[in-house]
Amino acid sequence: MTLRLRTHEFADEATLMMAIVNRTPDSFYDKGATWAEDKAFERVALVAGQGAEIVDIGGIKAAPGVEIDAAEEKSRVVDFVARVREAFPQLVISVDTWRAEVGDAVCAAGADVLNDAWGGADPELVDVAAAHGAGIICTHTGGATPRTRPYRVEYDDVVRSAIDDTVAYAERALAAGVPREGIVIDPAHDFGKNTFHSLELTRRLGEMVETGWPVLVSLSNKDFVGESLDLPVGERLVGTLAATSVAALAGARIYRVHEVVETRLTVDMVNVIAGRLLPKRAIRGLQ
Amino acid sequence: MSAAVSRVVLVPGTLALLPEYAGREDPVAELRAAALAAVAWLGSDVTLVGDEQGARVGASLLEVVSRQDFVLPQPPTVSTTLASARCSTSGAGGPAYLVVGNGSAKRTDKAPGAFDERAEAFDAGLGASLRAGWPEFDARLAEELWASVEGIARLGSLGDLGEAQVDYDDAPYGVQYWVMGWGA
Repeated sequence: MTLRLRTHEFADEATLMMAIVNRTPDSFYDKGATWAEDKAFERVALVAGQGAEIVDIGGIKAAPGVEIDAAEEKSRVVDFVARVREAFPQLVISVDTWRAEVGDAVCAAGADVLNDAWGGADPELVDVAAAHGAGIICTHTGGATPRTRPYRVEYDDVVRSAIDDTVAYAERALAAGVPREGIVIDPAHDFGKNTFHSLELTRRLGEMVETGWPVLVSLSNKDFVGESLDLPVGERLVGTLAATSVAALAGARIYRVHEVVETRLTVDMVNVIAGRLLPKRAIRGLQ
Repeated sequence: MSAAVSRVVLVPGTLALLPEYAGREDPVAELRAAALAAVAWLGSDVTLVGDEQGARVGASLLEVVSRQDFVLPQPPTVSTTLASARCSTSGAGGPAYLVVGNGSAKRTDKAPGAFDERAEAFDAGLGASLRAGWPEFDARLAEELWASVEGIARLGSLGDLGEAQVDYDDAPYGVQYWVMGWGA
């Protein structure tokens, strides 16, 4: 399906790299490396140069921590979005927020997509996306409250739950007026899930792809990778790329990542193997 | 040139010219542009001459230029003057031949057949005779150097072709390619 994220259009088979840009002092992977605005801006320039099609700007870390109210969240991301918009007109700007109030402000500043990592916790977020003609990422959290860790969560069938919830969310967004081509679903690995849930979602991602909605995966350096290999943050790249390969083979379209170059190569290689993408340049044995 | 033959073109049989082996970037863009321009010049009634694989390559090139929407590719480094001149006289009467063949495949260490010090001289000699319109080569040496000369050998049977126009002469992957044309 063709993706249109506000004014940015992508062909049916195109895969997209969504680079994570944290305007937070405490996110799990970079630990505040891009907390300063100039550092965050340097990160945007870096990933844009690496070929990322999307940046996902976030002002609040996902894990529990100091409460960040909407005013503080806006102060972290709105002006920054405007700065990125002006400097990188070709880049798709996504903002990781669950709050409609923040979504409205960032869209006014030039954001193209609202990445609702908390699965519709604020029901008015779809209306904001619709009002601005922005895209929306519909995630599955199993009903988890924003910024909470899973605690003894179980599902009859986690994949069925992810499909039912994200498709329902996508249809709600569509009904609210969000353009169909701007709606994406995301099983949200590790959100409201233990490692076994995230592994099953990875293994059966093809079932989500079969819904026809474009699928985003956010696998980068997450705990399910760490627990699978017993590796700390900082040593999970290989595991992340292995999981990425499985998701790519299943047909995921958007990859929310810390490492753009490595993920792009992985996704392209898988899609070349799958026959969805031609080899870059082939001459061996053909001369 | 034989009175019976109006136009003859020689292209190499590299499988990289076939659409089923296309990548996102064309490793033989200049060669392809030269070959398509030359094949287009032959017109529509063309006899293919070459071994089995070469005939597939030739048939593919003929199919491409026969499409209604065919436009000559023009990489900046290709001699478009010659290509344009040829196309402007496309379809002249008389039998036309598309010959598929090439020189050695042992020009460099990374060539398909690895380096053979005799390859460059072999290709130079064969190339010179082709330019003169009367191909000559040592058949046993051609086999040792992995040259694809089945079509080229039959080129000689078409009579004295006269001097060739050379659109491409290079060995970018250790295999000697030529795109040449004979005729008015």
